[in-house]
Order: sequence, then C-alpha cells, then structure tokens
Amino acid sequence: MRSILNSRYLYGRLNELGLSMVNWPGWENKIPRALALIAAALLFWAAISVPMELPLQAFFSTIIFSSALYLRRYTGTLISLIMVMFSVSATSRYIYWRITYTIGTDNLVDLFFALVLVMAEVYAWVVLLLGYLQTAWPLKRKPVMMPADTSTWPTVDLFIPTYNEDLSVVKPTVMAAMGIDWPRDKLNIIILDDGRRPEFAAFAESVGVKCYTRADNNHAKAGNINAALKRTSGEFVAIFDCDHMPTRSFLQYTMGWFLVDPKLSMIQTPHHFLSPDPFERNLQTFRNVPNEGELFYGLIQDGNDLWNATFFCGSCAVLRRTCLDEIGGIAVETVTEDAHTALKMQRLGYNTAYLSLPQAAGLATESLSAHVGQRIRWARGMAQIFRVDNPLFGRGLNFGQRLCYSNAMLHFFYGLPRMVFLLAPISYLFFEVHIIKASALSIAAYSLPHLLHANLTNSRIQGQHRHSFWAEVYEATLAWYIFRPTLVALINPKLGKFNVTAKGGLVQEEHFDWVISKPYLVMLALNVLGFLIGIGRALWWNTYELDTVILNMLWTIYNLVILGATLAVATETKQVRRTHRVRATLNATLRLPNGHSIVCQTEDFSMGGMSLKVPDGFTLEKGETLLVSLYGTNGECLFPSKVIFVKKNVLSVQFLELDLQQEKDLISCTVGRADVWLNWSDDRNIDHPLNGLKEIAFHSAQGFVRFGEGLKQYWEKNQKS
Amino acid sequence: MRVVAVISPKGGVGKTTVTANLASSLARLGAVITVLDLDPQNALRLHFGMPHNDATGIAARNLPQGKWRNALHESSFGVDFLPYGSVDEKQREHFEHAIRAEPDWLLSHLNSLGLSETDVVLIDTPPGPSIYLQQVLKVANIGLVVLKPDAASYSTIPSIESLIQYYTKGRKDFLGYCYVLNQMDASKQLCRDVFGMLRSSLGDRFIPTAIHRDEAVSEALACQTPVSYYAQHSSATQDVKYLTTWLQKNFGLVD
Repeated sequence: MRSILNSRYLYGRLNELGLSMVNWPGWENKIPRALALIAAALLFWAAISVPMELPLQAFFSTIIFSSALYLRRYTGTLISLIMVMFSVSATSRYIYWRITYTIGTDNLVDLFFALVLVMAEVYAWVVLLLGYLQTAWPLKRKPVMMPADTSTWPTVDLFIPTYNEDLSVVKPTVMAAMGIDWPRDKLNIIILDDGRRPEFAAFAESVGVKCYTRADNNHAKAGNINAALKRTSGEFVAIFDCDHMPTRSFLQYTMGWFLVDPKLSMIQTPHHFLSPDPFERNLQTFRNVPNEGELFYGLIQDGNDLWNATFFCGSCAVLRRTCLDEIGGIAVETVTEDAHTALKMQRLGYNTAYLSLPQAAGLATESLSAHVGQRIRWARGMAQIFRVDNPLFGRGLNFGQRLCYSNAMLHFFYGLPRMVFLLAPISYLFFEVHIIKASALSIAAYSLPHLLHANLTNSRIQGQHRHSFWAEVYEATLAWYIFRPTLVALINPKLGKFNVTAKGGLVQEEHFDWVISKPYLVMLALNVLGFLIGIGRALWWNTYELDTVILNMLWTIYNLVILGATLAVATETKQVRRTHRVRATLNATLRLPNGHSIVCQTEDFSMGGMSLKVPDGFTLEKGETLLVSLYGTNGECLFPSKVIFVKKNVLSVQFLELDLQQEKDLISCTVGRADVWLNWSDDRNIDHPLNGLKEIAFHSAQGFVRFGEGLKQYWEKNQKS
Repeated sequence: MRVVAVISPKGGVGKTTVTANLASSLARLGAVITVLDLDPQNALRLHFGMPHNDATGIAARNLPQGKWRNALHESSFGVDFLPYGSVDEKQREHFEHAIRAEPDWLLSHLNSLGLSETDVVLIDTPPGPSIYLQQVLKVANIGLVVLKPDAASYSTIPSIESLIQYYTKGRKDFLGYCYVLNQMDASKQLCRDVFGMLRSSLGDRFIPTAIHRDEAVSEALACQTPVSYYAQHSSATQDVKYLTTWLQKNFGLVD
C-alpha cells in the first residue's frame, strides 16, 4: 500500500495524466473545448460561491491548502498551474464572500469605508489574476544564430540618446557599442545629444562615431530619436540609454529573430543594473535579494512574450525601422513613449519578442528621491496610455495582449489600494467603524486561505525574481507618490511633464531623508496611534468584541513592519565612489617592472581600477606601479596601474591615465564580455515565504533604529541652532 | 612512443627552455616523459639540475657500449632526460659522421630505450636546418616550432615550413605541426603586431596563447629547475600550462 502511495509514483501518474489530457486529439475540436470550459466554469463558480458554515469552510480550506503544500514539493509547470488555480479559487471565494456577506449597510459611514476597502481588495484580486495569466508560463525564448555569411546581415543604426548626463557616463556606453561584434560598415553608432554640448561632438569625432543634435527639445527622448530616424536609413534601430553599456554579443544574440520572423517589430532584452538601486544600497541587499526591476525583466516580460505582448522599455532593444515608420516613429503622446510605441506596433499586427539574457548593463537610480521621480513618470505614463489608447479597446490586439498590456498599466494604480490596506485597521481602532461585517474567526477562515495560497504560489512562480513580501515594501515606498499622478493622468492625461531620471550622482553622507519619508511617517504615526488606542479598546472599552480588536491590532503590527522597512529605505547611506565596482572573477596577470609576473583573478572591477585576488605571500608596496593584463576579444590588453591598497591576498589598483584605445580595451575586457552579466544571481538565497517575512522584519527593525538615529541627529542640530 | 620535435628556425628564441618547461608540464599530466637533447650546445640538462661539470651524454666518447640507456638521467621533476654530452669539436664531427652514415640512426636508438606505446619523447634540436633535424623529422609525430616576436623569426617561417613538409610528406604517423610564440611582451607594439600577423597568417597552426617574457624563466634556469617549480603563479608557468592544454586538445599527447 505504501509503495502505491509513494509520492514519486503518484507524481509520475499525475504528470502522465496531465500530459495525456493535454495531448488528447479531441481538443482540436471546438465542441469538447467549449464543453470543458463550461464544466470548468460551473465547478469554479461552485467552488467560490457555495456557502459553508465556519467549520466546514475551515475544513475545506485546510484540505486544499494541504494539497498545495504537498504539490509544491515537485517541479513542473503543470503543478504550478494547479497551484495557481487553487490560489485563484481561494482568493475568488474570499472576494465573493466579502462582497456578498460582509458589507455592512447599517449606516453610511460604515458603508463608505467598507466599500473603499472592498474596492481595494477587488483591485488586488484583478491584478493577482492578471499577474498569474502573465507569468504562468514564461516563454524562455532562446537566441537564433545569425547565418555564417556576414554580407547578408542587415544594417543597424545604434542610437544613444542623452540630454544632461555627464560625458563620463556616456563615454563607456559609446565605447562598448563600438565593441559590438557586427560588420563595421553595417553598424552606425550615433550619439543623440539633446544638450547640444560641444564636448560630445568632439568626443564622437575622436572615436569615429556620429553625434546628432537638433534645434529644439520637443517630446524629449522620443522626439530626439524621431529626429534621428529622419536622418538615418539603417534597416534596424538599436536604442541604448546613455548609461547602458552593451556587451559585444548584443546584436548577434538579438538580430537572429528578425531574420526568422518578418513580422517581428521589436526585441527587448533586460535592463541590468551593475550598481545598487536605493533599496539595495540603503538596505544593503545588493545581489542578495532580487531588486525591484527583476520581477519585471526576469519573469513578467518573459511571460508577456508567451502572449506576444512584450513591450518596449526604452533601452537595450532593437526595433525594425519599417514598423516604426508605419506608426510615425516613437510615440510622443505619453511620457512612457516606449510601452506606447510597442502597443501601437502591436495594434498593426506586428510581433514583439523578449530575450531574457542580460546583454547590457547600466546604472540604477542613485537616491530614493530620484527613484521615486522615475517611478512617478512611469506610473503617469502608463495611466496616460490607459486613458488615451486603452489596450482593452481599439483594434488590432488579441485577447492575451489586451490583458497583458492592461495589467502593465493597472499595476501602476496600486497607490491608493496600498494606502487603503496600510490605513484600514485604524478606521476601526480610531472610530469603531466595522469595515468588515463578520466575526474575526470567519474573516480568518476566508482570508487566510486567500493570503496563504497567494503567497505560496507567488513564491513558487516569482521566488527567483522577487522574494516573498518584498512587493509590499516596494509598493508602500511608492504608494503615496504615484497615487496622485496616476489619478491626475486618468482625469486629464495632458497634465504633468516629463522628468529625466538623474544618474551618476553621489550621496555625501548618511542621512535620513525627511522630505521623501513624510508620507511613511504620517502612515506610521497613524498606525502607532491606532495600536495604542487598540490597547485601550482591548482592556477597557471594547472588551465585548475582543477578537475584532485583536485582529485590527495584528493588522497594524503587520503595517508597522512594512512601514519600518520604508524608513530603512529612506535612510540614504553614503555613496562616494563615482565609478561603480562590479564584483566579477576575470583572469588577470600582473606584470611588474622587475620583469616578474603574477597570474591572478579579479575580485571586482570598475572603470577606474580593480581589486585582485593574489596568491599567498605575494605583496607589493602601496604606490608601486605595474601593468595589469586583462583578456578580451583582441587578446591581451595591458593597463598601467598604481597600487592603492594592500591586504592579505588582495591588491587594489587604480588605473593611471588611459588613452582612448586603452579605455576601449578596458571596456571590451570587462563590461563588453558576452558572459559578464550571466552569473549575476548565483550567490542569492532561495526564496521561502517565511524567509521573505524574516528579511522584511529584519530591515524593519533596522529602519526603526535608523529613524531613531535620524531623529537624534535632527534634535542635536536644532539644539545647536 | 609519441615523438614531439621542438624546432626553431633560428637561435635565441628560447627553444630549449620551452622544451624543458613543456616536458615538466606534460609530466604533471601523468605521462612518462623522456627528453632528448640533440643540440650540441648541451644546455637542456641545466634545466633539470644536472651539474655543469658532468660531461656524460649520448654524444660523449665514453658512453658505455654506445647505449643511450646508459646516458639516461632521472630528474626530480618527473622527467627523464638524455643530455647531448660535453664534447670537443673532433668528437662532434665523429658523432655526426656516424649519424650521416645511418639513415635510421635516431629511430633505432629510440627503440633501444624500450619505451611503451603511450610514452612521450620530446626532442630538442639545434636551430635551423641540420643533420639532427633531418633525423628527427623522419620519426617525429608532432612538430612544435618556437618563434620569437621579431621580424627575423617571422621571415624564416617559409623555409622551416618547407623543410618540415619535405621530410614528413606522405608519413601517415605525422600528425601535424604548430607554432608557439615565445618571449611575448604585450606592452610592446611590435610584439603585438607580430602576434597579430602570425595569428592571421598561420591560422589554426598558431597556438593563440603565447609564452610571455618573464624574469622567472631566467631565474628558474639559474636555479636549474623548470619554471613551474620555481614560480608557480608566474605568467610563464600559466602560459606553458596553456600550451600543454592546447597540444593535449589538438593531438591528445597524453592518455
């Protein structure tokens, strides 16, 4: 008996059953498909709507959740899909119960607050469902190799638009672009300088690329690219933000798909960041916890690709010129011109593609305020598209595309719902408003399955790209800031202006950002106050509904944990290096003035110097000069360097003045390598829902400590003055 | 027996050093390695710790019974070597005269060593065409030409190429030959240019990892050890390792 119940055996059977069901030839026929759909819909409706007494509901949920816990031990998309359906059912059942049974209509105040919360929950439900649809089955597209005969390869114009960034930021990008493996006469590299700076033109001339300027700055980056499109004629257009340095293999990996799919209008690759974003820097999680963008580039875009709904992200992508011409160039109606451009091309029936291989790397935003500014722009732009060119309506898109694009936009409306969740419990604790008309036990019986399944399933699907509960922190940090612009854009899409994301700045000293953290502090204060009042309610005033008091107090504790983490994010840590050090193991050789040499490997590199791991017993004096050999496409390259730091087994060197050729060589030996970004996430912890919660709790505690320090600093400063 | 001939079109390229270092590197792969010095300079032995005043060798007048076996020295680096021997001019002429008279001179002596099928023999030859090189090319399975990154080395390639082809033509057991650049200095423009020219003109025959000029190589010789024992982390050690890997990958020298 035991052998039959053996899990592997059962799993094998389940898999076989699943496969035979999928491969059943009857599915080719419309009738069985329709019948199955109707049967499934009826069963689904029963699962979410059949009323149950509390014990039965608890029993039913326990069985389903136990099955999910059992299944998650196995890999495979089929298991994931089953878990997704469990989660969808549990959440839908919860939402159905909330709407039909728990909205108090006794008085208007209760009704108002109840409706606000339910609406926020319905929003979360819709986004959860669409999210599952988007990410259930990532396409994981592989590159198509280019034909051997390079004379058949198409011509490419490579644009590097810039407006106010420093030449030192743009220079490496141009040099990396020059290192791309592509026939020289078929790659046309152009800096599009909207700042019309003479030093850019001079630099372009010195390295042999073009630099275009235009008379005005209309439509910012989109207008800049459109102006350049008129002056060029390559069959394809590759676009890189001025700080995104491509690897040498970028075009060879991406262009193949254009040759096999004549309807392909755009191929996007991930935006990879070699420097920590404000979350990673201020929480010190760089390369340990997946960053905010990784869910999007690691999973969502790959999932979109299944539905032929990958969208253009403004950089690290190639577009087909004829398709761009058909829609009149890059879209200029909204501030997220990139997503809108892809949408317009897809409406004409063109395909888009996503290649999940990091083939370029750039700088993340430097401070939380810059990060917030960037996200405000994205949120506003997406809301604008939702308003002026809603993907749910209009011609040209298929069902999957409509849903994927809609979710991409709907996602940015999380501002208000997130704040509702962060403030909901205080409506009871402050004013005794019963926003959920049910006993605490029934709330638990319905909401726990919903929460547990959602976390378990998302951890399985997204865990590699986002750790559990981190979304709450990311959203809480931005909620207030994107709430207003999305609302404004929805009402009048023309309001608001384009703001450029600042990159390459420094943070002089550690400080608590009092300006950006205002909304967190307000929400935090309200929750703390709510909790204190809750103590009074629990002990004296509301002892007759102790369960409700405790439920709301637990909710505020959870909110405090999340808000504590936002405080930690708002504590800007010091950042003094102008060039970022990238941890990477590259082969190197030290060539000493006395003719000796040491073979070693790098620990990290930057455009200004590197750290090297040297053998036992080897040491040099600080200030000694030497040559460091690195290896790239053109073989060995030497860089004159000076020792600046010596530790046991580690030697840090700074490059001496490099000439243009040496700078180019340095790029091709480091960030230009085809494989340089591929093992980026190797050292990372694996996600588990409880671990995610632990991580957040840890950062939250740190946040409170740092906030305390910030408060002390502020106090001392005021005392002095 | 797998015979590798180490050849150079002209003197001073560091052929003997490459031979010695390559031999000790191959020995580390677990092969039984015998190195034969056919260069009258008799310098190979110095890399393996043989005393200067020891005059024994295959060309020496006092070689017992004329058997090579009796000239075989064991080194502490996993390599057995046959020194040429310190000889005067008269003895050398006498020795070379004997070689001329016997077309299979080298083959018969190698066979007399009683090596097995998989053992590797490295032979160091005098620079340029010589009576020794003729004999060696008739038995070699692989030719390794050592060059130096200068114009003279570059210009001698056609002549050495025709020489190799002349003596190995039609021999099924000759697997091929390749070139390695020694004393590379990537900080010198000329060296880089020669490297680039060699790579494009020699194609697959050019081993793309050159051996760098390295002070450790000269110092190792002064200490009479292979460089990999003298300076484990030096660039030259690494380069010889690459050379070994390349030969192993392309010819499968060692089982």
